[in-house]
Amino acid sequence: MTMTSATTSTPPLEAQDLRLAYDDRVVVDGLSVSIPRGQVTVIVGANACGKSTLLRALARLLKPRRGTVLLDGRDIHRLPTRQVATELGILPQQPIAPEGISVADLVARGRHPHQRWLRQWSVTDEQAVEAALQATGMADLADRPVDELSGGQRQRAWIALALAQGTDVMLLDEPTTFLDLAHQIEVLDLLHELNRRDERTIVLVLHDLNLACRYADHLVAMKQGRIVAEGPPREVMTPEIVEDVFGLACQVIDDPLTATPMVVPVPNGRRAEPPGPPASAPDPALVNGHR
Amino acid sequence: MDATIDAPAAPPPTDRPTARATGVTRAPDGSLVVRVRRGRLSARLDARSVAVTAVALGLATLVFAWSLTLGDYPLSLGDVVRTLVGQGEQRHEFIVRTLRLPRGLTGLLVGASLGLAGAVFQRIMRNPLASPDLIGISNGAAAAAVFVIVVLGGSSTEVTWGALAGAVGTGAAIHLLAYKRGISGYRLVLVGVAVTAMMTSITSYLLTRAEIYEAQRAVVWLTGSLNARGWDHVRPLTVALAVLLPAVLALARHLRVLDLGDDAARGLGARADRVRSGLLLVATALVAVSVASAGPVSFVALVAPQIGRRLVGGSSAALVPSAALGALLLVASDLVARRVVAPTELPVGVVTAILGAPYLLILLARANRIGSAG
Repeated sequence: MTMTSATTSTPPLEAQDLRLAYDDRVVVDGLSVSIPRGQVTVIVGANACGKSTLLRALARLLKPRRGTVLLDGRDIHRLPTRQVATELGILPQQPIAPEGISVADLVARGRHPHQRWLRQWSVTDEQAVEAALQATGMADLADRPVDELSGGQRQRAWIALALAQGTDVMLLDEPTTFLDLAHQIEVLDLLHELNRRDERTIVLVLHDLNLACRYADHLVAMKQGRIVAEGPPREVMTPEIVEDVFGLACQVIDDPLTATPMVVPVPNGRRAEPPGPPASAPDPALVNGHR
Repeated sequence: MDATIDAPAAPPPTDRPTARATGVTRAPDGSLVVRVRRGRLSARLDARSVAVTAVALGLATLVFAWSLTLGDYPLSLGDVVRTLVGQGEQRHEFIVRTLRLPRGLTGLLVGASLGLAGAVFQRIMRNPLASPDLIGISNGAAAAAVFVIVVLGGSSTEVTWGALAGAVGTGAAIHLLAYKRGISGYRLVLVGVAVTAMMTSITSYLLTRAEIYEAQRAVVWLTGSLNARGWDHVRPLTVALAVLLPAVLALARHLRVLDLGDDAARGLGARADRVRSGLLLVATALVAVSVASAGPVSFVALVAPQIGRRLVGGSSAALVPSAALGALLLVASDLVARRVVAPTELPVGVVTAILGAPYLLILLARANRIGSAG
């Protein structure tokens, strides 16, 4: 296990003075962040603010131009790829499921970093996959092809893969994109449960601010490659910061069910009209005019 | 922490078979798992791959044994076996050990190398047409060999070295030209097609300039032939395959996670670009050694993996089965080449396509009917 070198004071994952770029385009510059152990951290920000880029760097998928990423206090780029893979799991935004692959086969591939030439499928591998399938509620679907699953089930299968990998730190890049609201909740509830049950450190990139506030212990708001605010959702999610980060005028109220902050955008334009009697027929101009 | 994952106190309640420390079980992808020494060592084998490989190798051995009996001086199978174990007559000794055995072994080894290399190329480039015949490596070897024959008037040993240098040089050039932040299959195929065209025109130019005797020698070499192959050809092939086959298998283990995308693969501890480059390098070396030994025998590298994948089924790359099928295809073709217009011996390259293509077409036609061609 990875607790040996770690003390409670060392964050499991830390970035110091990062500059991240694709070719000549600098996306993130001078960013430092520390991921709290055993908590759910959610990164939010407008499109193209560099939040996925930051996650890729934290997962060692992108080499920083400057600065370092520390995994349990060690420079992640000096660690062997396979060792990193036993301590940190990453679920990329759109992973590819090979055609016709079964759920169990997919999840089993999460054991790759633990396998060797002469240890290709150990008892531990088998038990880890079984436990991951149980924990994600996928055991009954284990033999089903991934192609046939619903979006939420498919995402649960991928999370099971990350779980079978057996890492203390799990990074997920927009795990709820392309899912309908019910499936978004299903996936986030699962991640919350995995975090609370095993004290796993989880880092997510999310788009939906209200869901981010509900599920985050630690919220990181990014704008143009910088961190504008971070901390508990209650402190970060203020009208001023939402206005700054998203350019959106809003009020922040309490979520009636969870008492977490909830962003309500200030209406403008056509949408500002008070609700009247329903129109007899939908006006195409109005439908098109509404973004 | 994740103790529940690594070592559950009790097996989770499930109707699925519980883990067994020693013995044979099944992995989630359906492959057989063999565990020995209380589970400290475990290997997984795909049952269908094993079956296809065993049948192909069995048939190849039969054809190989038969080919040792055939020739201007027919021998019985008993004579051949007695000679091989060192108890045959003196005059059989020369025929079997010096003439027929190395030729047959060269056929087996070249076929296996080409089948394996073809399977790797097709898998990495995700393109069933990506065989060394079509991406320029064989053509580079051919241009160099023809240069040695026509311009330098070299001996057959010198032609072998020339072909080896040509294959390695062209392979390196293709990799460098196609490399752009890792190897992409699409780029590699395009670069390969361009290089093929260049090498083919060099070969044609050299042939038009050649004297008639040299031109004939060059054309026979270009067809690919096992005629007069001796132990000098067998030894380097054996060494190459003994080193390169394990290398392919070690790298191919990572293909399971490369299938999930490059980012996911890296997250699971496999560096996609390195695995791909390594596999391409090894496959290129296999092709170089085979072409140097037997000339650019066409079609084996293209068709053996196609047949292998169809017989094994699923998404398997069928690397080892393709090697076994390549060996079978080449020794069978050589047998036909030697006997069809006996006593004249045709170059084996004439026959590989005639024998391999119809079988592939039959497999394709059957797949069309059940709707999974391609």
